Amino acid sequence: MSQDEIKKEEILEVFPTVAKTIADALGCDVDDVKLNVSLIEGLDAESIDFLDLVFRLERSFKLKIPRGKIVEDSRGDLSEAEFEQKGIVTPAGMERLRAFLSEVPADRFSTPMKAADIPRLFTAETFCKLVIRARRAGASAA
Amino acid sequence: MQGHFSAFSLVDRITELEAGKRAKGYFDVPAHVTRFPISFAAEAAGQLAAWASMVHLDFGLRPVAGVAADLRFGIPVCPGKRLELETTIGHLDTEAVRYSARASIDGVSVIELDHSVGPMLPMEGFDSPQAMRERFELIRGKGAPAGRFTDVPEHDLEIVELVPNERLRAILRVPREALFFNDHFPRRPVFPGTMLLDAQITIALKLAAESRAWPPGTSFAASLVPDMKMRAFVPPGEIVELQIDFEADSGENRIMFKTAARVRGKRAGMGTLEIESRVGR
Repeated sequence: MSQDEIKKEEILEVFPTVAKTIADALGCDVDDVKLNVSLIEGLDAESIDFLDLVFRLERSFKLKIPRGKIVEDSRGDLSEAEFEQKGIVTPAGMERLRAFLSEVPADRFSTPMKAADIPRLFTAETFCKLVIRARRAGASAA
Repeated sequence: MQGHFSAFSLVDRITELEAGKRAKGYFDVPAHVTRFPISFAAEAAGQLAAWASMVHLDFGLRPVAGVAADLRFGIPVCPGKRLELETTIGHLDTEAVRYSARASIDGVSVIELDHSVGPMLPMEGFDSPQAMRERFELIRGKGAPAGRFTDVPEHDLEIVELVPNERLRAILRVPREALFFNDHFPRRPVFPGTMLLDAQITIALKLAAESRAWPPGTSFAASLVPDMKMRAFVPPGEIVELQIDFEADSGENRIMFKTAARVRGKRAGMGTLEIESRVGR
């Protein structure tokens, strides 16, 4: 299994804690937190909620998640200039983004896409994957 | 600008500092103020954390609003007393600061807070970086002149619904003009989250008092804020819809409430708040 590959079972294992953490951060019912729900468009999240959520996930899972990790990881091995130009995600960047955020339905990747709008794509599953990657990074660093 | 560095600046002097890591300092609550809400002690401790963070980033960024977690209240603040402040920065980068902090009087805790998070935003949008640097040099050196702080205006609160044991809804009319807006912040006036918390405590105390057949002589005080988050800036002149909902009896003589603040239908603030009853004290 490659480092990037994440199995469905791994996502389902962390999802209950991620869902409760999202519900606590957003003040919503945990039953409203589905795996594929968009946090901004479906649960009314703001940028401060993402900041709050990442810190809460660190406490819930007792791990370290560097700030801006989702956007940084979504760039992969592309440089910032290759990923976005004047705030707009490049075609190469879009391809990388679609692969990285594979949980997001294709019709939600509008073009042109502003880099600032990338968080609009994030779902609960995006944060499950964030936790799993942070766990792996912690394990490999140990 | 009248009120800048006085009307809502609650750190007089920084006595110890490891930039970006920890700080100690104090604020002398002027004897002439008639009321110093306990949430302002949290503001003072948060402002110390802000100074320790801002100096580390050369005043290019500053924390604004954010999340308070595990805020525990102790003794009330009496005018004329010195608030001893200390903070430990757990995490700081260009996106956010996370810190814990404490305010005490004569060694007795007034507030303690853990896991508070403030998003770091460009200083230019809120205040002059140069003015902030000069202010820092003053409070890191001989300290600010005493007695600058004056009373903040009483909240313009109107209760629109009170259902004992269930909920209270109120309207908070944020003043269009007030000296504290010249300090918080000169380039972008924002109603402080700790003033919003004070308004929420005010109405939660009323709901608690109306919700039980309390023994004569019972008094009430806020004891804990497990979490509180400011999700939007509240500008001068705004109408804020406040709601307090009964959540649970959280222990003997303690009631937990959910709090919400909405501006134009949008959630500007949310959290939980515990009120403690004190019989015969």
